Amino acid sequence: MNVTLTDVRRSFGKNPAVDGVSMELGTGVFGLLGPNGAGKTSLLRMLATVLPPSSGEMSLLGRDPGASAARRDIRRRLGYLPQNLGYYPSFTVVEFVEYFALLKEMPSAAVPKAVAAAVERVDLGPKAKAKLRTLSGGMLRRVGIAQAIVNDPDLLLLDEPTAGLDPEQRVQFRALMRSLGESATVVVSTHLVEDVGAACSQVALMSAGKIAFRGTPDELTARGQGHSVGDAPLERGYSAVLSAARS
Amino acid sequence: MTALSMPLPGAVRALRLELKRNAVPYLLPLLAGVFFFDTLRTAGGYPPVWTLRASVIGNHMLFEFGAFAGGLAAWAGSREGRRKTLDLVVTTSRAAWARLSIALAGTLCWLLLAFLAGVALLYVTTAVQATWGGPPLWPVVVGAAGVTVITVIGFTCGALFPGRFTAPLVAVGTLVLYQAALHAALGIMGSSGTYALLSPASAPPNVDAGIYYRIAPDQSIVQVMFMGGIAVALFGLLGLAPDLRRLASLRGRLAGGESWLLRAVAVVLIGCGAAAAATAFSLAGTARPDAVGGWAVPALRSAASDRPLPVTQDCTSSSGFRVCVHPAFSFYLHDVAAALDPVAAEIAGLPGAPASASEVASTGQAASGISRSRPVFEFTAQNVGNMFGQFLGIPDAGAWRAGFRQGLLEAFLAGPSPDAGPGGAPLGAAQQAVENGLLAAAGSPPGDPDVKQMLNEQPGSGTSAAISAATRRFLALSAGARRAWLATHLTALRAGTITLAQIP
Repeated sequence: MNVTLTDVRRSFGKNPAVDGVSMELGTGVFGLLGPNGAGKTSLLRMLATVLPPSSGEMSLLGRDPGASAARRDIRRRLGYLPQNLGYYPSFTVVEFVEYFALLKEMPSAAVPKAVAAAVERVDLGPKAKAKLRTLSGGMLRRVGIAQAIVNDPDLLLLDEPTAGLDPEQRVQFRALMRSLGESATVVVSTHLVEDVGAACSQVALMSAGKIAFRGTPDELTARGQGHSVGDAPLERGYSAVLSAARS
Repeated sequence: MTALSMPLPGAVRALRLELKRNAVPYLLPLLAGVFFFDTLRTAGGYPPVWTLRASVIGNHMLFEFGAFAGGLAAWAGSREGRRKTLDLVVTTSRAAWARLSIALAGTLCWLLLAFLAGVALLYVTTAVQATWGGPPLWPVVVGAAGVTVITVIGFTCGALFPGRFTAPLVAVGTLVLYQAALHAALGIMGSSGTYALLSPASAPPNVDAGIYYRIAPDQSIVQVMFMGGIAVALFGLLGLAPDLRRLASLRGRLAGGESWLLRAVAVVLIGCGAAAAATAFSLAGTARPDAVGGWAVPALRSAASDRPLPVTQDCTSSSGFRVCVHPAFSFYLHDVAAALDPVAAEIAGLPGAPASASEVASTGQAASGISRSRPVFEFTAQNVGNMFGQFLGIPDAGAWRAGFRQGLLEAFLAGPSPDAGPGGAPLGAAQQAVENGLLAAAGSPPGDPDVKQMLNEQPGSGTSAAISAATRRFLALSAGARRAWLATHLTALRAGTITLAQIP
């Protein structure tokens, strides 16, 4: 298992953001759904080793992220796209991705090829030399994805990766996620249930810091049988689970 | 695989990126403009003497570079906070200290490169004009240490307090800090004691500093040790930046900082840097004025610094009156000769009249005088500074010439002094009238405003009209009559027993 969480909790002051989450994740694309404030981003930040858990046990890629040496090893094999991508406007696309490849301590000789491949995978080849300040929001999102996948990570964490992408790009990105999920654990936090349906093999729905549902997209769809809220079957499942969790 | 085709190490590649995308190059034209209009023009107004020209590095260049360096470094240091990339970069495996160090190095490289380019330009222009000596290196080392410490301070401020206003605040703070240091240095031995020696900014040195005696590196060593210590300590503090951020984070503790080994290295660096700075501080407190116009730190003093430098003067005696100056000042030898020759001719052969003029070290000497041991009019290189307007503000060749001649005549009329000085007491009224007459007779143009002023009025004297009248009477004599009268009455004139009425 690449990710093992046991009763993981995280609080900010007196507010619990993640409240006793336990799960195990192997390779594949794992969708994390939930309303605003459900704790998705906090959970993802913990998986990305940005935040330590307040309590509980975590194992990432078979290592304990609490230990400095292990954390460093995990981070070498980690890809992370935060919800709000910060970037350096004066860098070009290639430079930005190369910068993160170097920060991830990739072998220097492998960096140029890996950078070129990552930029191509997000379809930014023609914009490779463009400065980030000149790119649209959707393109910047793709740059963020490129830096996340440049080291061919074993654990890829994507927070709202398709936000700002046009429909064509979104379709391409789903294909990319499926491809990455063949050899790595990909955790995708999103509001867009159609992304989950199209790309994820597993899905979890969070509500108030807890996992309210865990299963396949089809199982989530099945939960929506007879539920009227939602346009698509998966949305109805999502809505039904949330309603049940809140009640 | 050849050495050329080997890939660069990751840190070097990252540094290359930082250099390529640094903000410093964008402001280089502005910095170059400020450097040209302040530093280079100020240096150009100084005599072409290495030590004097090099003093602008601490007094002007560092002021300009300091503000830019502090602001730009703070801008670079605050980048992760400003651009909100912290969440992204903390998930990378390279240590935060290494990441910050690479960004700091990128900024520092540019700033030091710009600083050294400025120094090179300053030194090349000086080399073209200077007639003796070579470029002093200690001011460059002190300046580079200054740029480094300001850069590290700015970067650390930016890293620890990221925000859009950090950079301008640091730039303004640097200017204020510099002015405070300069103020303390100018008032040294006042309220600040000798600790103000730690400031790289100070008053310009004597014009002949480093000419007759070496400039001891004591003060420079203390300054480099102080600034270097602060830089090292702050660099160590950067190593603890993740932990400090974690403590200060309002959104919750960020996951683990550096490893214990890195933290230990950071703490050791902070300790070593603080110790070096504290040592320098205490050393500065022991400084005492030395014999050659500088400062001696006893623990660092080398006896070699107090020995005069061997020198063979450059001389000219085209009109019979031999004038000698240090080769560093040979560029104004003929100006000195041209100024002194007419006056020397007026008094040549009279008792106590100097047969030659020679420049001496200004240390412990008055501006000019006639030595009791030999009939030589001795003057110091302060005259060079006066010639360039260093102390008068504006170069004024007429005033300089008149002042120089006046110095010779006053020394002659006051008589030889054991201190080779002008005698301390001002000339009496009769001596003044004779001096004015001789000055006017020395070939100065009748319309020379300086001479006219002396003929018509003597400030602060109630007998100015009487002096002017005596001057005119004395000037009306033939050269032979003046000389004969002086030969007869010189002893009494020097003794002050001649009255204005007795002047023919």
